[in-house]
Amino acid sequence: MRRSNDSDARLARLLVAPAVGVIALVAIFPLGWTLWESLHRHDLRLPWLGQPFVGLGNYARLLHDARFWGALGHTAFFTIVSVALELVLGLIFALAMNRTYRGRGVVRVAVLVPWAIPTVVAALLWRFLFDSQAGIANALLVGSGIVDHPVVWFVHTATAWVPVILADVWKTTPFVALLLLAGLQNIDPALYEAAEVDGAGAWRQLTRITIPLLKPAILLVLIFRTLDAFRVFDLIYVLTGGGPGTSTEPIALYAFNTLLQNLRFGYGAAISVVIFAITFGLALLYIKGLGAGGAAGTEP
Amino acid sequence: MSFVFVIVLLQVIASCAGEKDTRPVITYSGSAVGSQGETVRRQIARFQKLHPEIVVRVQPSPDDATQRHQLFVQWLNAHVGDPDVLELDVIWTSEFAAAGWILPLDSYAPASSEFFPAAIEANTWDHRLYAIPWYVGVGLLYWRTDLLDHAPRSLDELVRQAEQAMRGKDGPPYGFVWQGARYEGLITTFVEYLGAFGAEIMNDEGEVVVDTPQAIEALTFMGDEIIRNHVAPPEVLTWHEEETRFAFQNGNAVFMRNWPYAYSLLSDSSRSRVAGKFAVATMPAAPGGKSTSALGGAELAINAHGEHPDIAWKLIEYLTAPEQQLERAAATGDYPTRRALYDDPRLASALAVPLDQVRSAIESAVPRPVTPIYTELSGLLQVQLHRALTGQTSPADALHEAARQMKAVIRDSGLDERGALR
Repeated sequence: MRRSNDSDARLARLLVAPAVGVIALVAIFPLGWTLWESLHRHDLRLPWLGQPFVGLGNYARLLHDARFWGALGHTAFFTIVSVALELVLGLIFALAMNRTYRGRGVVRVAVLVPWAIPTVVAALLWRFLFDSQAGIANALLVGSGIVDHPVVWFVHTATAWVPVILADVWKTTPFVALLLLAGLQNIDPALYEAAEVDGAGAWRQLTRITIPLLKPAILLVLIFRTLDAFRVFDLIYVLTGGGPGTSTEPIALYAFNTLLQNLRFGYGAAISVVIFAITFGLALLYIKGLGAGGAAGTEP
Repeated sequence: MSFVFVIVLLQVIASCAGEKDTRPVITYSGSAVGSQGETVRRQIARFQKLHPEIVVRVQPSPDDATQRHQLFVQWLNAHVGDPDVLELDVIWTSEFAAAGWILPLDSYAPASSEFFPAAIEANTWDHRLYAIPWYVGVGLLYWRTDLLDHAPRSLDELVRQAEQAMRGKDGPPYGFVWQGARYEGLITTFVEYLGAFGAEIMNDEGEVVVDTPQAIEALTFMGDEIIRNHVAPPEVLTWHEEETRFAFQNGNAVFMRNWPYAYSLLSDSSRSRVAGKFAVATMPAAPGGKSTSALGGAELAINAHGEHPDIAWKLIEYLTAPEQQLERAAATGDYPTRRALYDDPRLASALAVPLDQVRSAIESAVPRPVTPIYTELSGLLQVQLHRALTGQTSPADALHEAARQMKAVIRDSGLDERGALR
């Protein structure tokens, strides 16, 4: 009996080995390499310096790098604002889609269209919309008399964020709505019937039944969306390029510029490691929260 | 059946291998699109006929300068042997030379004195020439002959003329359009304003002097064009060469700063509303400065790890010879780098731009700083210039910060203050 258990375990390990090997190859090995790289001064354009080991030198330098802290701030700002908007709008869409009405299937598919468009294409689309001369945004604003002169969106920090946040919200709200819709459909309709009998209004039903029972789905949305938003790159790369100056530059774009534009591999690796540490920390935090939330969800 | 097929296939493969070409192969890599690409291919095909003992291959590389730079740095850093002949942007030569990626050319005794001195200076590193100037580009001031009767003689006059023309009946909405987005083009624009005010980014000793009072004045003047006199639209801060050309081509601007390539496009009356209504001049100066054009253009260099440097040199010699430069000028509008050609009547008929109008621009052309870490310094400066022009900081603060960062990078780079290797 014992023997067969042992051989079962061995067989299991053997069967899992290829998967572990693949993970090691595509995840752990590059990560280890990046960590190792981040401990060196490695600047492709200064080959005469060689690749000296500098310990935590690159990280110490990051502490005094205003552009790095700025980029972290922009990333946090973008993440909080866009995810908050997506959650609220996504919930509204999900509630609407959850009702039974004719053409529901069509609406559900239509809502997904922005999500299906590649980010770079969506970003270009929004850049054209917000073009200062021929853009529709300015045509609408000037036409309706809200502003006198066309706004040059990408020249001021505050206005440059508008198309960036709008584009992200437009593109990812469908994803949020769909996840929440799945959560909504798991809620037992009997609960609403009972609430109806007890005389609870729509608002009370929303705050006392829907939202508490939707908590696991909401946490799932938050995990996916914050981690995604924190690594935002392509959208901003195309829309503003991080400008004006570097005032909309997120951390991933700074890492890209350092690594591939300036070819400072050591320093760029250090930034990448910081991005990894933050997203990994966030993921752990959420997984803990999701565990608790999942338990609460099954309690009643 | 299938066995027979395999045998036949093997024989075919074997016979291919048997006819293996033993001639030396060299590879050229550079821009290979449009009329430039066609011209290069045609010239290489002719070179090939002259030298049947050699095989020349064309390896296209990205047309976008930044992307080509990345690619070249990655190749050369890995010490690959091909491409043998590289088309470099004028600002890369010292970087590649200091890294030991391209060969010094003095052993081939190039006729340096036949080329424009500014172009030779830009390709010289540590007193040795590392690349041959292939064609030059210079910043030009395009102005509307239907709105003005003469080119401005000073920067102040330029602003006055622009204001007047904009106020006139059916006056264009923009006075002056230039490249102000955060990219290398902003530096070329800035270099011209700097020169106009008697300032520069780095002096002859290689010290960073981008925050002198004159330099601050130059940047303030650029900002004032947008914020105070409104002759330049704020849109220029997102514009590259093509956006400015579209504005000027549609008749929406009095002045434009751009490279020579725009001339023939603007002269095409089927697409341009200003065909026959514009001329070029050099950027005017402010009191105390001098009229300045930024030097652009392409160079040819030899990969230090290539197998056949002597053959590579032959190709460079051929491509930069007077005949090829004239042919290129006619096909693409690129300016030759050999001074003598400017007395050649064939050039006058080949170029769309009247020679007398461009000659002074070329004579007053200044290279951007010649240092191996130019691209990094430029990146730092671009950010600070853009911050100042978009009103996030004052011109003085921006330039002080840029100078501080640039000095720190130089100090850190293993180069001494004069830009030489320690």
